Amino acid sequence: MSRSVLIIGGGPAGVSAAKALVDRSEGIVLVERSESLGGMARELTCKGVSECRNCGACYVVDRSTELLRDQSAEVLLLSETTQVKKNGNGYEVKIKISPRYVTNNCIGCNKCIEACPVDDKAIFAPTGNGQPRHHWIDRSKCLHFKKDKCQKCADVCPTKAIDYEDRARNVTRKVSSIICATGMEPVDASEVKRLGGGVLENAISSLDAERILNKHGRLLRPSDGKQPKKVAVIQCVGSRSMKTGVEYCSKFCCKYATKISQLLIDQDPEVNLDFYFMDLRTLYEPHDDFKRWVKERKKTVRMIRSMPAVVLPGNDGNLVVRAATETDSEVIETEYDLVLLSVGMRPAGNSKELMDALGIKADERGFAICDKSLEDSGVFLVGTTCEPMDIEETSVKAAAAASRASHRKEGA
Amino acid sequence: MKGQIQVIGCKSCTEIPQLIDMNKLIEKASTMDLVVSTVLVGAVCDSKSIKQVVQEAKEREVDRVVVLACPKKVVNPALLAAFKKAKVNEFLVEYVNIRDEVVLPHMDDPPRAQAKAETMMVAALQKVMGLKPLETLKEQMRTRNVVVLGGGASGRKAAETAAKTGAHTIIIEKGTKSFKAPGVLMQNSVLLKSKGYGGNFVLTIRAGEKVEELQCAAIVVATGGGWTRLNGPLAKACKSALPLYELDEQIRAGKKMEGPIVIVDSPDPAGKSMQVRDYAWDESLELAIELKRRSTDSDITIVFQEMRAFGLSELRYKEAAELGVRFIRYDATGIPKIDPKEPNVVSVKDLAQGETIRLRFGTLAFASIPANDDNEGIADTLRIPMSPDGGIRHGSIQRGPVSTPRPGIFICGSALFPKTKDIAEEEGMVAGELAGEFASKGIIEYGGSVAEVTQEKCSACLTCIRTCPYEAPFIGIANKAEIRTQACQGCGMCVGICPSKAIELRNCTDDIIMQETKTMLRGDF
Amino acid sequence: MTPRRPKIVGFCCERHGLDSPVAAAKSGITYDASVRIIDVPCTGRVDGLHILKALEDGADAVFVLGCLEKNCYYDTGSIEGRKRVEHVRSMLEEAGIEKERVEMFNTSSTMTWRFPEIVSKMCDVVNRLGPLGKEGDEQ
Repeated sequence: MSRSVLIIGGGPAGVSAAKALVDRSEGIVLVERSESLGGMARELTCKGVSECRNCGACYVVDRSTELLRDQSAEVLLLSETTQVKKNGNGYEVKIKISPRYVTNNCIGCNKCIEACPVDDKAIFAPTGNGQPRHHWIDRSKCLHFKKDKCQKCADVCPTKAIDYEDRARNVTRKVSSIICATGMEPVDASEVKRLGGGVLENAISSLDAERILNKHGRLLRPSDGKQPKKVAVIQCVGSRSMKTGVEYCSKFCCKYATKISQLLIDQDPEVNLDFYFMDLRTLYEPHDDFKRWVKERKKTVRMIRSMPAVVLPGNDGNLVVRAATETDSEVIETEYDLVLLSVGMRPAGNSKELMDALGIKADERGFAICDKSLEDSGVFLVGTTCEPMDIEETSVKAAAAASRASHRKEGA
Repeated sequence: MKGQIQVIGCKSCTEIPQLIDMNKLIEKASTMDLVVSTVLVGAVCDSKSIKQVVQEAKEREVDRVVVLACPKKVVNPALLAAFKKAKVNEFLVEYVNIRDEVVLPHMDDPPRAQAKAETMMVAALQKVMGLKPLETLKEQMRTRNVVVLGGGASGRKAAETAAKTGAHTIIIEKGTKSFKAPGVLMQNSVLLKSKGYGGNFVLTIRAGEKVEELQCAAIVVATGGGWTRLNGPLAKACKSALPLYELDEQIRAGKKMEGPIVIVDSPDPAGKSMQVRDYAWDESLELAIELKRRSTDSDITIVFQEMRAFGLSELRYKEAAELGVRFIRYDATGIPKIDPKEPNVVSVKDLAQGETIRLRFGTLAFASIPANDDNEGIADTLRIPMSPDGGIRHGSIQRGPVSTPRPGIFICGSALFPKTKDIAEEEGMVAGELAGEFASKGIIEYGGSVAEVTQEKCSACLTCIRTCPYEAPFIGIANKAEIRTQACQGCGMCVGICPSKAIELRNCTDDIIMQETKTMLRGDF
Repeated sequence: MTPRRPKIVGFCCERHGLDSPVAAAKSGITYDASVRIIDVPCTGRVDGLHILKALEDGADAVFVLGCLEKNCYYDTGSIEGRKRVEHVRSMLEEAGIEKERVEMFNTSSTMTWRFPEIVSKMCDVVNRLGPLGKEGDEQ
């Protein structure tokens, strides 16, 4: 089957675009540089307990699983597009597939990770809920590829899935359109040190909180593994800020943070939660909904319209948040077990050669500039490559772009 | 009941040394009644293995199969296709997920895992004997029409993309404005009733004075938000107040608006009468910036509770502030009010200053977008769910962001939740394309594991009709319930709730479920 | 003599209900082998009769696992499932049987920790309340 569209990036945008195309029986090649599909959404946790909160985390996982089963989809993981050349009305691309060293026989039992003698391990499970659930070896850390010739993982693997002989491959594909879905990366909490990011152990980023929830099902304090009883959620960490250079609003943080707050209270109704925010930007939901929910829990949940000035260390790993009140009339200091910093996003860094070859220009913030001539030449931009967006909007825009990409083949 | 069963074991992900002994399992299978063929293959998704299996099946005249491997969703479709060729009915194949339900979770407990695998196999063999061969039927779609409800931004894009797939589009627009549409545009028209199921809908439309029936294969709900509805104390007090879009239209048409201009987020700041509102912040900020650029001393104030300038629109917030647009935030303790004795002054407590200020205005606009009044009626007519806040819900995200729970009905734009034009248009494009492709299939495939009523048992209590989201059950001429098989999705909700136990789900009967449970419980592990 | 192992039945819907144990399994998380998974197309299909019969046929505890409400593929299926479970629980209460033995849960495909947590919870209930008794009493 001829592959008509190349999709660069396997996050929510790439997967949505790919799924829209394969549902139409169009062949695609999806090139993802990490070891699994899902992008940043892999690490997001489901925020419902009995009722769905519409966060979109399961959407990405479900579509990735379906995509991997489809015969029209060629999904290349640990791969990068190394060369793009114009070929008539389409493109000829070279893709480098790095070796995974673990075959499809992998069942995800984790015995190899237990056996790995390297300190921080050289063999890993897929990040978060990334699909497929096959492990992978980081050659740069693996002792087998140094003089040691270590075989510990291969020895314990019950399905003989370790393959040290795996080699990098280069493949060439001819495609009619290219969809660029290179996505975003989170702002590091440590860029906002005054709020404890990267400095205080129990001041964690929203992404860290999602990781912990994803793994353990409960939010646990990094310092002692206990469930926090008094939590502060601070919005706009890194976003709307001149210091970090992220002056725009990252769009999805209020949506996810309000849902995490609701999840925490669902799991433990006695948790005290303070929500520090500047503007409540719950995407695709009225702000009243969250405010009403907070009002019903007057005794345990508060909304504080303030950007805290600083987070200081307290006793036993606790944190003290100092903030001015809404009307700037007082300064309040409150102690918490855990502080959750809702970090924003930046567009992911991309190889300049690749962007130049595709004709993609970036603005001063790093977002790719979408213009009609780009689409006319067969290059489509989707997802957070162009602007901040959440999973729902990403999936819609990616499907729309995929449709335009596939029509281009017939039309132009 | 005669049956010729084939049991296929897959070694690739099930055989782990010292855990599951597939050979033992297959051996046990070969001793069981009615099992005429047992095959242990390296990998059941491998084409060579498939050939081997199918050959055996043909030779032994196998009519039903038990596959001991991984979940049904993951098994190679090539295997299913191969069974078709071997004349095994696809509904007579049972999949036992040995890998994920036995091998992986019970790695540390081999004897129990083996016993469990055996029990599951026995249960599957029993089950497959109780199954009946089922057929999937086909019905022609009578038309290739896609009806788009609403001729706004998303509706027009939906019609465009649906037309590109070859569908004939009909836009039902309640207003009178005329625009170019790919197919038919019915102005001054509303949806009255809907019957049928995805592929063959019959809609009743009131077009002007007449009432017409319209057949279609798919529907796109693009009814939009209640853009121009102004309900609330502020709108009442100031009769000349405009919705933001009208203000925008007038300004861009070159009309000089009387200053100062005040834009308030909602005509109902206490939030009592309006549901689902978002504010046209992108548009308000852009408009304010435009006005400031035209004339630097234009007096513009924006009064809001939450500045919902999402994403890059935040930069316009900054720009507007730098250009001198005044922003006043209020909260529940000091909402904007207009005294009827002074209808050109709005007073509000400015949170930043902590004092009530009075804003004299020449033009007042409201940037809010409430839910469309028609939403409830449309959702009721089409039997799609509503959000508690007045928008129409898109149902489970498992079906996608523009789908509703009913196959063939799609939804896009501000009917879901007020949104900016560009996002609404993209949603329209996707919904339109999906609707068009649905319509272009030309046939409806239905049947298989669907619900079936035993009329003698039915007491016509109507519970099934009220429960089914797909309008599959109906009261037929015998005054008993019947199932419209084309609409039945096979979920079994009606079966579970029927108080007379008059409905059964084919190949998923109560007996089958309870027998499986009994066998699994008898297993010693 | 080894104590009788708990017998737990789980009615899981074909979608996220069955995705849940698979997600757990593929993340290397193990759970008690005492659970017997019975798949149904949707938890709306589950009848109170199935739950009661399971208890009669030897189950000490029964759970029903469906998609999160409002995320059910068939829109209201898991809500119907919950209604059935609540109905059975009240019937059990009247019959003098602890209603904790029957419970409804909701999940999605990303909650890898959910299925083992549910199995563990039901095993705890059985260990605390004891097996349901030889006759298995219900109306």
